[in-house]
Amino acid sequence: MLEITFADPALPTSGALALLVAEGAGTSGLWGAADEATGGAVTRAFAAAEFTGKDGQSVTILAPGAGLTRIVAAGLGKEAEITDRKIEEAAGTLAAALTREKVAALAADGHAGGKAAAAAMGAVLRSYRFDTYRTKQKPEDLPKLAALTILTGERKAAEAEWAKLKAVADGVFFTRDLVSEPANILYPAEMASRIEKLAGLGLKIEVFGQAELEALGFGSLLGVSMGSAQPPRMVVMQWQGGGAEKPVAFIGKGVTFDTGGISIKPAGGMEDMKWDMAGAGAVVGLMAALAGRKAKVNAVGLVGLVENMPSGTAQRPGDVVKSYSGQTIEVLNTDAEGRLVLADVLWYAQQKFDPRFMVDMATLTGAIIVALGHEHAGMFTNDDDLAQKLLAAGTASGEKLWRMPMGREYDKQLKSDIADMKNITGRPGSSITAAAFLARFVNEKPWAHLDIAGTAWSSKDSATIPKGATAFGVRLLDRLVAEHFES
Amino acid sequence: MLKITFPPSPPRDAPLIIPVRPGQIPAQFQPAATAGAFTAAPETTCEIFAATGHTLLVGLGNPEATGALAASRLLRSPRIAIDARHLSPTDAAALAAGACLRAWHYDRLRTQPDEDAPLLAGLDLVSDNPKTRAAWADISAGIEGALFARDLVTEPANMLTPAGFIARLERLVEASISLEVLDAAALRAAGFGGLVAVGQGSVHPPCLAVLRWAGTHSAPPVGFVGKGITFDTGGISIKPADGMWEMRADMAGAAACAGAILALALRRSPAPVFAVLALAENATGARSYRPGDVLTMLSGTTVQVVDTDAEGRLVLADALAYAARENPQAMIDLATLTGSIVTALGHEMAGCFDNDPALAASAASAGAMVGEFLWRMPIGQSHRRALDSDIADIKHCVDGRGQPDACQAAAFLREFVGETPWLHLDIAGMESRAEADDLHAKGATGFGVRLLDRLIADRFEDPHRV
Repeated sequence: MLEITFADPALPTSGALALLVAEGAGTSGLWGAADEATGGAVTRAFAAAEFTGKDGQSVTILAPGAGLTRIVAAGLGKEAEITDRKIEEAAGTLAAALTREKVAALAADGHAGGKAAAAAMGAVLRSYRFDTYRTKQKPEDLPKLAALTILTGERKAAEAEWAKLKAVADGVFFTRDLVSEPANILYPAEMASRIEKLAGLGLKIEVFGQAELEALGFGSLLGVSMGSAQPPRMVVMQWQGGGAEKPVAFIGKGVTFDTGGISIKPAGGMEDMKWDMAGAGAVVGLMAALAGRKAKVNAVGLVGLVENMPSGTAQRPGDVVKSYSGQTIEVLNTDAEGRLVLADVLWYAQQKFDPRFMVDMATLTGAIIVALGHEHAGMFTNDDDLAQKLLAAGTASGEKLWRMPMGREYDKQLKSDIADMKNITGRPGSSITAAAFLARFVNEKPWAHLDIAGTAWSSKDSATIPKGATAFGVRLLDRLVAEHFES
Repeated sequence: MLKITFPPSPPRDAPLIIPVRPGQIPAQFQPAATAGAFTAAPETTCEIFAATGHTLLVGLGNPEATGALAASRLLRSPRIAIDARHLSPTDAAALAAGACLRAWHYDRLRTQPDEDAPLLAGLDLVSDNPKTRAAWADISAGIEGALFARDLVTEPANMLTPAGFIARLERLVEASISLEVLDAAALRAAGFGGLVAVGQGSVHPPCLAVLRWAGTHSAPPVGFVGKGITFDTGGISIKPADGMWEMRADMAGAAACAGAILALALRRSPAPVFAVLALAENATGARSYRPGDVLTMLSGTTVQVVDTDAEGRLVLADALAYAARENPQAMIDLATLTGSIVTALGHEMAGCFDNDPALAASAASAGAMVGEFLWRMPIGQSHRRALDSDIADIKHCVDGRGQPDACQAAAFLREFVGETPWLHLDIAGMESRAEADDLHAKGATGFGVRLLDRLIADRFEDPHRV
């Protein structure tokens, strides 16, 4: 992770300088000092590049003088509308422009300490890389920037805020690593053992194997797993940071690879299915974040980990399984497996922990991508209050949600001829009917289901997320807890 | 539409529907009800044949649904009666409305009798309350509008060409709605680049219908804008053959706008409203527009065509730009626009996109009141950005499978509405029902007519607001 230090504002005399510039703001502070020291090179470059500080604008000035190797600037938009999120995005853009530099400083003078920490967060989040399997990288292809100094007039406040944010960034990186790992390396047992390493943060971790899940009666989850040579796991992570109150619960779908099973997927794009565990990955990162920043909350994270393979022992279309809840399910399509895994884990979460609410995350349906694209995850919930809180946390964290409908007309499409329900419906409204299926395993608890199929992976860089695993959900749910559920 | 009469007492020669609540089953029917395990639970029925007559007990729930359910049980009776003497005028009228909607069927093209077709043609609404007639007049306008729209949607595309559609609008002119038609030459002269391009592959030329209901308020009007593709082959980007016949219904948005303005006229709404219907056939022909073509739209915007089967947004874009010139208080467009919205919401709700959340909320609540449900969907930055074109101002859709095409289509349309408060209702999947059930007739639904009628009543008829 990019190393962050905070220092008092002073114009550096070497290395690179990064500037956060509000729209139409006059030269002042370190920006003014840099402009003066370079004989007006900064203002001249801004004019030449038509850089006015608008949202999303950026400019690079090479060798501007005054000993500096480069000055980079990113726009924040209008002064009155600057949020932590905008600072993060601008800082992320700046971090991407600084990768060739060894030494760099980012000027956050003129902003409160919290915003200086947000700048650090944006830069760190953007600088993530997953290089585990590259053996032949040339030194010139590697980013040189290993440390970034944030220049701020409120060093103490920034450092205190950053200590918390860094724990969240650690959680995000943990998730991105899990999601990026290929499925021959990251199978259920391996993912469980990586989660166990988080015990050092103070998480209590329990791992359930094939035998334990059989003893519990997880027929729905086990049906998905039975085609694979890799046995399943359920991992339960508990964080006791609060008092005696009941925990909040987060549940994740962790299909470490999804071939579709006997209802096998087409070959084109199947490689993407290594990230069909992104919901579970995000729950793990979230729990690491909560524990890492010692959140004053009791929280439990549960992930169901399986591999969905076609084989001689695989579940067949038409099979009927008995879920942990006792309800029977006719499996008409083995590629609608995520809901089968979640069904048992959701029920277990309620039986065991009686949580205040549950949020599940899953790369559940292709239909949610056709509905919303890659900008919002779909949110389905039985609780308007939870919906409002999640929507607000999504906007603030940049992990946006859009609420989708539920209702009897959708639920009734799950009717099976021979069991309590079937696991698929036709394509129309199929993200909604998937949520309706999950709702049948929610026992009158406030609950939200986040369908993150369109947001878990990104095919191009964005301000704070390099191309690849996004860890969507970690920051959103951390924010939800921080704003509403900490004592 | 059923012929409705208001006798003071039940006729002897027609089956009588008696809406009942639990505990209020008339004594003479109690033995039969008990035998049939009928408890008057909402929206359940018990049919009784006795020497005294043919009776249908129906548990009173939502009045419209109750009326629909009762009618569904008696479709082969030429005439039925509803005993509404114990009901409020509003509930009585709603029962009749439900029955009319359920009893609708389209048999104009049959030359031989269909043994399964409904025969139901008349309804006696038995009421001793003099206000029942007025309540019926209130609700029946929307019903008549909806059934008018259903007939248009059902009519096949060899009959309902753009010109055929215009001919059907005569019914609106009779109701004091003015009709102005811009023919293909006028559209070319005025620069309707989108509508002209979409229509140019067909031997049936495109046109634009502008309908106006003057109302009585001196306020800026509300504009309805409808997609009226009388048949959609997909054009050069031709559709697969399976199910293509359903594309005769690709004018359901325009039909809904026409039905809604008819409803407003029939009930003499005080609100001034106009409707712009963009009518064209998207045919595969030697003159068809091509993928890759760049069009100059009425607004002057240049559009790169990606897929000629995304034609609805092109005709709507011109119609919206034209409507915006009237400086309306609000514009609402209806269109069977995308398969994407069907994947998103199924057949239970239409997608609502907007630039005005308060207007969207009003429309959703108006829809809920009449059983035409909306769900608000986003227009995100990514949806607009995906339409950036290499050579024109904008692309009209994005290549490739799995696109959030409904959101992208809405982002495209938004480019043509300017600052006018605007809703776009993507009604694909709602225009027609594959199967009949207790509450709904099979086929065209008229979705949107009653919603628009209600929205105008709720939001645009208060003289103090305008």
